[in-house]
Amino acid sequence: MLTAGVSEYGLPASVLAPYLFVSAAMFVIGLIGFLTRKNLIIMFLCTELMFQAAGLALIAFGRHHLGEDGQTFVIFVLCVAAAEAAMALALVVLLFRRRETLSAEAWKELNG
Amino acid sequence: MIAQTLSGTFLQPTLAMAPDVPAGIGTGPKWVLLIPFLAALAACLNGVYAAMGNKTRLPAWTTVALLAVSFFATLAMAMGFDGNAYTVKAFDWIQVHGESASFIANFSFYVDTLTIYWMLFVTGLATLIALYASEYMNHDLGVSYCRFFAAFGLFVFSMACLVMGDNLVMLYLGWEGVGLCSYLLIGYFYKKPEAVAAAKKAFIVNRVGDLGLALGLYLAYVHFGTVEYSVLFSDEKLLAYVEAAKVGAFDQIPAMAQWIALLLMVGAFGKSAQFPLYVWLPDAMEGPTPVSALIHAATMVTAGVYLIARFYPVFLISEHALPIVAWIGTITAFLAATIGMAQFDIKRIMAYSTVSQLGYMFAGLGVLTPTGGAYHVLTHAFFKALLFLCCGAVMHGFAGQLDLRKLSGIRRVPGWGIVSLGMLVGCLNLAGVPFTAGYFSKDTILAEAFVTPGASMIGWILLLTAGMTAYYTFRVFFRVFVGPTHYEAGDDHHDHDDDHAHGEEHHHDAGEHGDHHADGFHPHAPGWAINTVLAVLTVASLAATGLYFVGGSKDLGYKTKHYADTMVSASTASYHSPYSAHAFHDDHHGDDDHSGDHADDAHKALAGVGPRGAIDEPLMLFGKDPHKVMYYVSGIVGAIGIALAWVFHYAGRKTAGECRMDGVARLFGPIPRWAENKWYVDELYDAIIRIPLRVASHLMHWFDKLVVDGLVNLAGMMPRVFGWFVRPSQSGVLQGYAAGMVGGVAILLVVIVLAVRLGGGS
Amino acid sequence: MNPIWLILMVLVPIAGALLVAFGNARNAYRDALFASFASLVPALMALLEFDFTDSASFQGLWSVGWLEPLGLSLSIGVDSIALLLILLSVLLGPICVLASKTAITENRRLYYSWLLVLQAAMVGVFASRDLILFYICFEFTLLPMFVLIRMFGSTNRVAASTKFFLYTFTGSLVTLAGLVYVVYFAAQRNGEWSLDIGVLTTAAAFMSPGEQALVLGAMLAGFAVKVPLFPVHTWLPLAHTEAPTAGSVILAGVLLKLGTYGIYRFAIPMAPVGFVEYAPTIAVLAVIGIIYAGLICWIQDDIKKLVAYSSVSHLGFCVLGLTAVNATGLSGSVLYMLSHGFSTGGLFLMIGFMYERYHTRDMRRVGGLASKMPVWSFFMVFFAMASVGLPGLNGFPSELLCLISAFQADASWVAAGEPGAAGVTLGPWYAIFAGTGMVIAAMYLLIMVGRICFGPLTEPEGHHAHDVLPDDLNLREIITLVPLAAGCLVFGLFPGLLLDAIQEPVNQTVRLVESAQELALPRPGAGPETDAGVLMILDEAGAEGANP
Repeated sequence: MLTAGVSEYGLPASVLAPYLFVSAAMFVIGLIGFLTRKNLIIMFLCTELMFQAAGLALIAFGRHHLGEDGQTFVIFVLCVAAAEAAMALALVVLLFRRRETLSAEAWKELNG
Repeated sequence: MIAQTLSGTFLQPTLAMAPDVPAGIGTGPKWVLLIPFLAALAACLNGVYAAMGNKTRLPAWTTVALLAVSFFATLAMAMGFDGNAYTVKAFDWIQVHGESASFIANFSFYVDTLTIYWMLFVTGLATLIALYASEYMNHDLGVSYCRFFAAFGLFVFSMACLVMGDNLVMLYLGWEGVGLCSYLLIGYFYKKPEAVAAAKKAFIVNRVGDLGLALGLYLAYVHFGTVEYSVLFSDEKLLAYVEAAKVGAFDQIPAMAQWIALLLMVGAFGKSAQFPLYVWLPDAMEGPTPVSALIHAATMVTAGVYLIARFYPVFLISEHALPIVAWIGTITAFLAATIGMAQFDIKRIMAYSTVSQLGYMFAGLGVLTPTGGAYHVLTHAFFKALLFLCCGAVMHGFAGQLDLRKLSGIRRVPGWGIVSLGMLVGCLNLAGVPFTAGYFSKDTILAEAFVTPGASMIGWILLLTAGMTAYYTFRVFFRVFVGPTHYEAGDDHHDHDDDHAHGEEHHHDAGEHGDHHADGFHPHAPGWAINTVLAVLTVASLAATGLYFVGGSKDLGYKTKHYADTMVSASTASYHSPYSAHAFHDDHHGDDDHSGDHADDAHKALAGVGPRGAIDEPLMLFGKDPHKVMYYVSGIVGAIGIALAWVFHYAGRKTAGECRMDGVARLFGPIPRWAENKWYVDELYDAIIRIPLRVASHLMHWFDKLVVDGLVNLAGMMPRVFGWFVRPSQSGVLQGYAAGMVGGVAILLVVIVLAVRLGGGS
Repeated sequence: MNPIWLILMVLVPIAGALLVAFGNARNAYRDALFASFASLVPALMALLEFDFTDSASFQGLWSVGWLEPLGLSLSIGVDSIALLLILLSVLLGPICVLASKTAITENRRLYYSWLLVLQAAMVGVFASRDLILFYICFEFTLLPMFVLIRMFGSTNRVAASTKFFLYTFTGSLVTLAGLVYVVYFAAQRNGEWSLDIGVLTTAAAFMSPGEQALVLGAMLAGFAVKVPLFPVHTWLPLAHTEAPTAGSVILAGVLLKLGTYGIYRFAIPMAPVGFVEYAPTIAVLAVIGIIYAGLICWIQDDIKKLVAYSSVSHLGFCVLGLTAVNATGLSGSVLYMLSHGFSTGGLFLMIGFMYERYHTRDMRRVGGLASKMPVWSFFMVFFAMASVGLPGLNGFPSELLCLISAFQADASWVAAGEPGAAGVTLGPWYAIFAGTGMVIAAMYLLIMVGRICFGPLTEPEGHHAHDVLPDDLNLREIITLVPLAAGCLVFGLFPGLLLDAIQEPVNQTVRLVESAQELALPRPGAGPETDAGVLMILDEAGAEGANP
């Protein structure tokens, strides 16, 4: 898959692979962090990490295929992430004010 | 007014049309519509007065004036009648035009001699009684007064629709309309629970009858394709059935057609208070007395008789209808008379006598003399209205006292002469004293009962009833009007004060009520309006006798004997009926051809004998004309009844409360008490109908709540049950969901990879 | 007829709702009143412009494409029956608003705006000629009603609104399945997608009897709940009892008629053979409902529940008329749909007015009001009598026709090939048992009147006069009642006004059922001409309904 259809100016598969490894590593770190840490801010940082991992992969592939789509997407993702960060942190602040704690476990009203 | 009636040329309508030729029904003059609609106008105007808060006697005068005009219009209709039935349409009412079958019931009126006959006394009596009520109800001036006369007007309108309607649906409209007015007027004293209960009972029991009427209507429509008289009574199918019935060939008449009469009959039983639906009428006496007189004695309760007379051909074609009518009438007459003998409330006695006399009318219809039935309706309307109005006057004057043990000799009280005289005339009529109208009309029925094969038992029972009637009628007269003068005022203030939130009431209480029990109680004698009406009715009751001797006609192809005879024979009541020839076999025709085959066959059919058990001798009783025989027999029976009443209730009576009868009654053990309690028929109804139905209703209510709704709730709970299983997966912990997501994605990935691998492999 | 009037009848209330929702809360009542009166104008115009000489064909047709490839469009149009039902809905608008002035004191904006939206939705149901539009409006009526009950009902409102919504909604989903099957069948047969009701009706008659039975069952699942037919009626007493007065009036006046209208417009023409086959079963349910609900009424102490159950009983007559599928029955039934709302709506208003003064509906605690509220009692007796089916008032003609039709649809008639029987076999027993409903109606309604109006005055302990309302009805309340009372009287005395208008569409429906019957079960001796004739009639029926 990685070797197919590479144009002469594009990133060769051998160069692409490390980017993807880094991206995958970032994603897994974020994922593990999200699943294991209780602090809301840390968890939020972990989601950001996963976002950026996806972004990195997108750019790498974009370069690999010599298309603009990947970069365009990443710009969108960054914008959304920025907006989201503002929203999420505001929410976290509000939640903190209610319970004086940042633990995610303090909030489980939605249980069935 | 009756004098005018007598002198009118309409007594001898030129019956140009032979009764066997189907009528070419034309349209009549539009002013005939005035008769019903003036009454409706009266009702509307009274409603307006009520809304305007009128506190004068204006409603009464409006009603009397409009009803009087209505009466004169009826008179004009009668005089202008040329023997040809006609219809007058007000407007289209219910019409459904299907592709090939249509249902048409217009708001239109049918005028023939039977209509005229009925409308004359309905409007005439209504006018008189409205005049009476103007005085009678005057303690209620104000909204209630308006309410009374509004319902009164509405009643006359409904009655006119009932009698004049040109189709069964109009009849039904009138039928329910009079039921409504009866409901409203019985419940006039609406604060009194008994009055409300009585009103309710009247309406509901009537509704049972109405159901029969309604079903008869449907069946008539389904079978004959029409409900309009003008079409129905000249329907070829019907005529063919009548021909078949003439020879007793009832097997040629479809059961469906025979059922029509049986169903209509139920309606008649309800409205005319026949056994077993009579229970509402005595209770209906809770209403003001003018209402009892007009609605529950003279007019509305005769609607059943009218129905059967109007649909006589339909009844003739039913094998069992007329015998049932005859028997039910007889049973009712007898049963009501036994109860009447044991009552102490004079108004109730009159109520039971009404039931009993209605039984006579039904028996008359049943033994094939619609003339007898109709004539009895007329005479009864006058004398019973008179009797009720006299009782009402007593009640009005003696502060609601109606107990015959507490009233005596009031003939001697100043100002009560006309009332006492009226009462005497009424009682003479009701008792069937010779040469009164009641005597002749009762005789017609009795005589026919004896000559109808298989109906002689009916005759004997009716004869016995006649004696009982004479007894209880004169029991009232001897106790209340003659003998030592003694009276007590009504202690429950029966009629007066139950109404109304007016200040007047208190005034009334303080002024009059306070000293009722004191010795200084002075009954207030009736005023001019009541006296005038009583005088007119007294004269009319006597004059009704004359109708037995005038108004015969030969234009029908056979000789009719008197006015009622003519009017009934020229209408559908004997229209095409095998009976038309027979009904009037009077002394002159007793054994000639007119009373020939058809009549005998019809009589045989009634008895269930069938055409083969031919009876060749003419209809005779003891070898004489039955009517002549009956003159003597019933005269004697009546005299015995009166004599008994004289012995037990008058002779040697010193006080109002005690008489010889008290001792005699003891000999019968508990029977008089049972009779006084109406043979516990009400209780029986409670036990076998009302209570089981109520239990069933409660059961259904619980069934609805527990089972029907329970199942729904169970179904509604199903999702919750399923949810209960999967609920734990939703822990509410943020990372739990995240882990779930990751797991899900992981599983998806594995599936995809496996799929690609396997797909690639193959 | 110009379609603009139909559109305006939907848009004016919606505009009114927006005005109310975003306006000043104090003006909510005034604005709502204005909007509801304003929608009377297009209603009047529609009535004037409608060509009653051609009442069977759909007029005011208007269509705009929506998702053309799927055959979706927004198309509207009315025949006389739909028009009259629309007029009824629009007429009830001002009455409901007027009746709510003092009853609703909080959240007025919410209340009046949903009331107006409900009116628009009801008009939409009757006006739509497109299946999806119909269904959307049909379901959308639930939402405002849900809010009205949920937010403005009495004590048990939460359970009532939930049950009302879920029950009717669940049923309707099954109906949707049935309707979708008809669409699918029509698409197969015609080779193109169409959701036009006229096109579907024409095509549906060609379904096999088995398919028709299934489709009928699916449709009835929704419509029968809406009517409501025994035994799926239990949501109604609850919803009625808890709903605010105006909600009850609309529920009784129009929403229940959606069920019978659905049967008339969809179940009968789209599954004619199936309907004829199962009509006796449906009729039995209707008759059971008449008697059963009537007897339950008899022992109620809660006056509103009594009237609610009486609706179940009354609608039984309406369904009985439908099941007879003859001109008499269908006319009677449609007449019932139009006139039942006047008397029962009136009764609900009366109860509402009493409730505002006494805050109880329990007849053991309040009674004998005639001496204190004579005007109220007059109207109460009047509407009760109309409900009893007294001739001369509105209940009678329709009840008469429905019962006659059951008689008429007798086996002997059908066997004799008599006209007027589309093959349904009911018979006298149906009429007799249903007729006992008349007696029972007299029992429970007169007992109700006897307790609440007559007898000695009973008032709840600690009752004190209402601080805004007088003891008896005030002018506003009388004005609210007068149109309904007038309707009772006019449609009782001149039912011809309605019967003439609905005659043609009804006859056409009967014709359609008869021909579908012949198509499915050709009588012996019916040659090819007959088949051709049948097809012609069906096409005609379809063509009249189809959009140009």
